[in-house]
Amino acid sequence: MNAEGLESFRDFVDSRSSALLKTAVLLCGGDRHAGEDLLQNALAKAAGRWQRIDEPEAYVRRILYRQQVSRWRLKWRRREVSVAEPPEAGAAPDAASAAELRLVMREALSRLTARQRTVLVLRYFEDLPEADVARLLGCSVGTVRSTTHRSLARLRVLAPELAALGPADGEELPSRDFSPAEVRP
Amino acid sequence: MNIEELVRDSLREQASGQASPATGFADRVLAVRRRRIRRLASVAAATAAVVAVAVSVPLLESGRTDVRPAEVIDGTVAHPDQWLPRDMIAAGRTVLAAYYTEQTVPTTPYRGVARRTYWLLDPQTEKYHMISGFSHVAIAPGMRTAAVLEQSLPTHRIGILDLTTGKIQRWIKVQHGVGGLAFSRDGSKLLATTYSENPDVRAPSTVNEKTGEWSWQGPLGSPRDGFYVLDAVSGTGRWSSVPSGREINGREDFAFSRTGEQVFSRIVGGRDGLQQFYDLDGNRIAAPANEKYLRSDVDARLSPNGRLAALGLTKEVGGSPGKSYSSIRDPLTGKEITKVRGAQLLAWADDKHLIAWERTTSLDAPYVPRLVLVTIGSDEVVPLSGPYKNIGKVVWKPVFAER
Repeated sequence: MNAEGLESFRDFVDSRSSALLKTAVLLCGGDRHAGEDLLQNALAKAAGRWQRIDEPEAYVRRILYRQQVSRWRLKWRRREVSVAEPPEAGAAPDAASAAELRLVMREALSRLTARQRTVLVLRYFEDLPEADVARLLGCSVGTVRSTTHRSLARLRVLAPELAALGPADGEELPSRDFSPAEVRP
Repeated sequence: MNIEELVRDSLREQASGQASPATGFADRVLAVRRRRIRRLASVAAATAAVVAVAVSVPLLESGRTDVRPAEVIDGTVAHPDQWLPRDMIAAGRTVLAAYYTEQTVPTTPYRGVARRTYWLLDPQTEKYHMISGFSHVAIAPGMRTAAVLEQSLPTHRIGILDLTTGKIQRWIKVQHGVGGLAFSRDGSKLLATTYSENPDVRAPSTVNEKTGEWSWQGPLGSPRDGFYVLDAVSGTGRWSSVPSGREINGREDFAFSRTGEQVFSRIVGGRDGLQQFYDLDGNRIAAPANEKYLRSDVDARLSPNGRLAALGLTKEVGGSPGKSYSSIRDPLTGKEITKVRGAQLLAWADDKHLIAWERTTSLDAPYVPRLVLVTIGSDEVVPLSGPYKNIGKVVWKPVFAER
C-alpha cells in the first residue's frame, strides 16, 4: 500500500471503526474483546487490497459477517460475557421488567450459534431485508427465513422468561415442555 | 411487545453501550498485517529448507504443477506427541470433539457385544475425558449439545447432553428402539436409526490357539427397521419404516444428506463405499446430484462450500514413510480435479484443508497412521496426533464437529 493508500485507510478506520465495532461486538454475542479481534481481522484483510476496493465499508462489513459465520478463526468456547449493571432498584415495575427482559435477551443472544446470531443482527439491528441478508451470507432467502425462525425459537428455549412475548410474524411457537416427550410415529 | 421487537431493542441497547476502539486502532491493524506477512514468509522459507525432495502435485485451479509448503491454518491445535489424544486437536472450523474405542465383551458363552467407550472434549479444560454409561454419542455443530444413547441397545430414550455443564438436559422418549444418532449439518434435526435388536451383537468365530482369545464376527443381516427424524429443540418428529434387506449387515446407521432433505446409509455390494439414499418417508431414491459420486466410507464428503468432493485412496508412493494420496473430485461430474495427501479423508477444516489419517510407515511395513492436516495443492502434511500404537489391539475412531 502506498502513502496515499495508508492515509485513506487510516481515515476510514478513524471515522468508521466505532460503528463497525458495534456490529462486530453484537456478532460476537456482546464479547468486546472478540468483537475487536473480529474487526481487526476484517480490516487487516481489507488492507491487503485496499486500493482496489470500491466501497470500503460494504466490503469490510461483508468480511465481518462471512468471517463470523464461517467461524474459522473462532474458538467455540464462549467467553464470559459481562452484562450491563442490573436495573436500578425502585424503577417503575414496567420499566424494570423491560430492562430485565433485555438483559435476559442479551444473555440468550450470546448463546446462539454464530450463524444464528449473525442472521438476527443483520435482520433486526441492520434492518436488512431477507434478500440482502441472503446475498451477504451467500445463501438462499429460504435459508435466511428458516434460520431466523429457528433462532427466535432457540431464544425462547434458552430464556423461558421470554415466554410471555408474542410470536414474530409467521413464527410457530415450539413446545416448551421438555419433560420426556412422547414421540409417536 | 413481540420477540422481534425485543431482539431489536436489546441489540440497539447493547450497541449504544460500546465505546470506540482505542486511539491508534488503524496502526494496530496494519501492524497485525505486517506480522502475518512476515510469518507466512518465514514458514515458507523454513519448509523449503527442510524439504529435500518434493513431489509435484497439480494445482487446483490452474492445472499447472507446483510445490507449496504445508499451511498451518488459523485454529490449528496439534499434539503430535499423543497417539491417543489427551488434549484438544483442531484445525480451522473443525475440532476433534470426541473419540471412541470399541471392544467386544462376552455376555454369554456364545455371544458378545461390541461396546464403545467415549472420550469427550471438555470445552473448558480443552482435555478429553472418558464418559461412561453411553453406547453412542452424536455431537451437534457448535459443540454445545450432544445426543446420547444409554448402554443397553436398542433404547427407547435419547438423552440431550449439555456439553457446557456435562448434564443431561432432557430425555426424548421414542416408541421404536434406537441404536444410532446423527445431527443434520445445521444442527436443527436429529436422525435416530432404529433397530429391533441390538445391532452390535457378535458371535465367536475362531479362537487364537496361542492366546486363547476369541475373535468375533458380526451377524449376517441386520435388525435395522427404520429411522426417526426429530426436531433437535422440541424432540418431536416421526418414524419411517425402512426394510433392512440383504444389502446391510449389523449396524448401518443412517446419516443426513448435505441438505438434510434425504438420508443415506452404506450398503454392501460389488465394491466398497456404496451408499443408498432414502427420502424422509423411508422410500429408496436416487442420490442427490452433488452426492452421487461420494463414498459412504469417506467421511469428509463435500467441502464446506460444496464445490469439492472428498473421495478415497487413489495412489501410494514408496519411501520412508510412504505417502498416500486421496482423490478430490468435482461432485457433479465425478471427474478428478486433483489428489491430496492422506490415506483416508475424515473432515474438511476449510475449503482447502482436510483432516486425514496418513501412514507413518513405509509401504512394506504395517500400516501405522496418525491424524494429519493436509492442504490441496501441497505435498506436505502437518501432524495433528501421534502415530497409532497397539493397532492390532486398540482401535480409536475420531468424531469431528464444527465448532
